[in-house]
Amino acid sequence: MAVAGGIGVISFRQPIRSVLSLVVVMLALAVLFLLLSAQFIFVAQVIVYAGAVMVLFLFVIALLGPAREMGKSRLRFQASLSALFVLALFGLLWAMLQGVTYRQPDKTVDMSLFGTVQSIGVGLFTKFLYPFELTSLLLLVAAIGAIYLSRKEGDDR
Amino acid sequence: MSGFDAGGSQLDTSWFLLLAAVLFILGTIGVLIRRNPLVILICIELMLNAANLTLVAFSRQLQNLDGQLFALMSMTVAAAEAVVGLAILVDIFRHRDAEDIDDLSELKG
Repeated sequence: MAVAGGIGVISFRQPIRSVLSLVVVMLALAVLFLLLSAQFIFVAQVIVYAGAVMVLFLFVIALLGPAREMGKSRLRFQASLSALFVLALFGLLWAMLQGVTYRQPDKTVDMSLFGTVQSIGVGLFTKFLYPFELTSLLLLVAAIGAIYLSRKEGDDR
Repeated sequence: MSGFDAGGSQLDTSWFLLLAAVLFILGTIGVLIRRNPLVILICIELMLNAANLTLVAFSRQLQNLDGQLFALMSMTVAAAEAVVGLAILVDIFRHRDAEDIDDLSELKG
């Protein structure tokens, strides 16, 4: 289902259909996260991605109007070159997957607590405190940058 | 499938990795062949999601929570990237009608 959605993302002509198929991919991945006992990531995926980011994309599409894509590009060799590149990349990933040896976990943990909000929170505020604070700084910078970019022309205050 | 030994895990990690690889490849194809800048941003989101799936799958395999925390970080970075990219896109569209990314090959507005 996720693969079908992914094919839909790249094959639809209209951007709005690409976005809607991306929502399908996000929800399928969210279910897979739940399967991998990552409850908090599941909730975050549904809210942040399938909710917020997709609404943002839909707003931008609504703002820009329905822009249909032109069929032919000016770069003639781009299709064949990209096919070559993608095949090489897939071969590389496939070889890498063949070579993976799966290690057993060092210590067994209580799986009933694995991936819950509590364990995520403890990890986030002890071991990952510094990256967490950097993330907040990054979000602040992104918000300021977006506001600056989307202000009106000549609106200097 | 030969060569895929999950090491006794009840959830086969290799299938998750394979799915993530396929999704990443699909995102790469989209970035390479689509012409609309908005669709290219969408495909980048797809690739980031595939990477997230890999992180969470290995987190489950090793029973180590660091992978999930890192997936959370990359989710935040992806959201920030989407916001800034879309803001730039709207700004570009305000100045000119650019339905093809090849029209945007110069930096001077």
